[in-house]
Amino acid sequence: MNIFKGQRIALASLFENNAQADRFQVGLSISGSKEAIDFACFGLDSQQKLSDDAYMTFFNQPKTPCGAVELSTPVGDTLGFSCQLAKLPAKIDKLVFTAAIDGSTSMGQIKDGYLRFLISNQEVARFSFSSVDFQDEKAVMLGELYRKDGTWRFSAVCQGFNGGMAALVKHFGGEVAEEAPLPVSSKLSLEKKLASAPKLINLAKKATVSLEKYQLQETVARVGLVLDASGSMMNQYRTGKVQEVIERLLPLAVHFDDDGELDVWAFSSNVLALPAATLNNYADFINTAEGGWNNWGMMSINNEPSVIKQVIELYQKTLLPVLVIFISDGGVSRNKEIKDLLTNAACLPIFWQFVGIGGRNYSVLEQLDTMAGRIVDNCGFFALDDLNSISEQELYDRLLSEFPLWLKAAKNKHIL
Amino acid sequence: MAISLSKGGNVNLSKEAPGLNKIIVGLGWDARATDGAAFDLDASAFLVKLDGKVRSDSDFCFYNNKVAGDGSVEHQGDNLTGAGEGDDEVVKVELSKIPSDLDKVVFSVTINDAEARRQSFGQVSHAYIRIVNEEGGAEIARYDLSEDASTETAMIFGEIYRVGTDWKFKAVGQGFAGGLGPLATSFGVNV
Repeated sequence: MNIFKGQRIALASLFENNAQADRFQVGLSISGSKEAIDFACFGLDSQQKLSDDAYMTFFNQPKTPCGAVELSTPVGDTLGFSCQLAKLPAKIDKLVFTAAIDGSTSMGQIKDGYLRFLISNQEVARFSFSSVDFQDEKAVMLGELYRKDGTWRFSAVCQGFNGGMAALVKHFGGEVAEEAPLPVSSKLSLEKKLASAPKLINLAKKATVSLEKYQLQETVARVGLVLDASGSMMNQYRTGKVQEVIERLLPLAVHFDDDGELDVWAFSSNVLALPAATLNNYADFINTAEGGWNNWGMMSINNEPSVIKQVIELYQKTLLPVLVIFISDGGVSRNKEIKDLLTNAACLPIFWQFVGIGGRNYSVLEQLDTMAGRIVDNCGFFALDDLNSISEQELYDRLLSEFPLWLKAAKNKHIL
Repeated sequence: MAISLSKGGNVNLSKEAPGLNKIIVGLGWDARATDGAAFDLDASAFLVKLDGKVRSDSDFCFYNNKVAGDGSVEHQGDNLTGAGEGDDEVVKVELSKIPSDLDKVVFSVTINDAEARRQSFGQVSHAYIRIVNEEGGAEIARYDLSEDASTETAMIFGEIYRVGTDWKFKAVGQGFAGGLGPLATSFGVNV
């Protein structure tokens, strides 16, 4: 059976009284997108709000507490859900199947896609759509199952929001802080987001404490990490200290960033943009990414200006605030170049948090914090003898203390 | 208390509100909450004879002809007066003024430019039609047709019709292929 955009139909007639219909699958697919598409299923209450985060089913949270909705992808589809509606608690009134493009393109630029129903692996109904059904939406409600007078019905909604996942979450009742109307992150707790990475879970609480302390719980941002890979850093790589930096920073990226990616660069005399660190690849990242740090062609002198330029190039057009954490062990010499680059970058939505570890002669990096001649203070600096010399809690506190001040200033100056 | 009708249901307005003469027909729907081209919905009314056709084009009441049926039906356009609060479009009807050769007033809503914008009534939330007694402002009957709307781009929401000396209201909720033009043609209007 074909379902058409805007159509509303009783599930029973869609399933034509199939005896196995108490358990069915919803399969989703979109083709022709250059960028990744995230599918999710939101379980809403009768007020059409996501009052219980546990009823958002997606990659990082594959199952509702009641087991009514569970990730299960039919053969040939991009993602899918297995549904047993009878198991849903009464408070869940509606299941909305959504797609969000992660990047700069919109649904108007896809080729086509579908939402289909399967029973016992056999397709029983399909709602097809294509780019002409959309305009500039980045996050859309493809279809929804809802209760009506004691029965379940389906509606091919096919509408969405140009503001992407943040706007969609807001539509479902996600709260936006009045003071800082920045895009909101999903209300899902960091602990839940990190559930698939047991090694990081003990960091979740500590990071959450700091995020709350600086009122960053609702902030959506991109997070980048620049790693000094000059020769003097060799021992830090060898002994796993740099790997530890990745592991400690990833929870922040998972919190701030919708896709939970930590953009990583290594620099020495050259610059190497590494694949983004994620919950899937973070383990032993330093030894595995791009063949491992030994094969990065680094361990020479340090050339900060080149990497700063590359970071600016990636982020200059983003609409989200960016937190760049820049690790250096000092020996900084290209002071004027660095100073000029960062002064000019003050009008961009990028905050630079420099962290000196185990080194000396941070020269200009220390002065950046208080440097005059910028529209906003876009740099922070602190030094540690050793990453292990402070607790994780203190590390998060220090990493996040200046970022909210910049957020506020950047917002006042309309940089954000 | 107002009577809530389901598709196909009807109510005798004259019995519900004895002495009823002036009514307000309110039509409404939720504004689009999502991004994209707005839903531009137009309400219109057709005064038809027993055979279901208008006497002349002047019995077709819409945004370009706000007074029809010898002055018995008046399209208020956008609801700016505050009367019928919450309605998106309001049509006023004075029952005693409806010419005796006219039997029925049909209220329809069409989505402007639906095809180009790829919109249909299934995407419009909480559409309704309600009948309010202008005298006193009491709501007599209401029909919420959200669940009866699907891929239609033009819909007949409801109609009032004579039964002897009484007037009844029927919740129609029926789709019509095409836009306002074809709909008008079907009622005998020359467009």
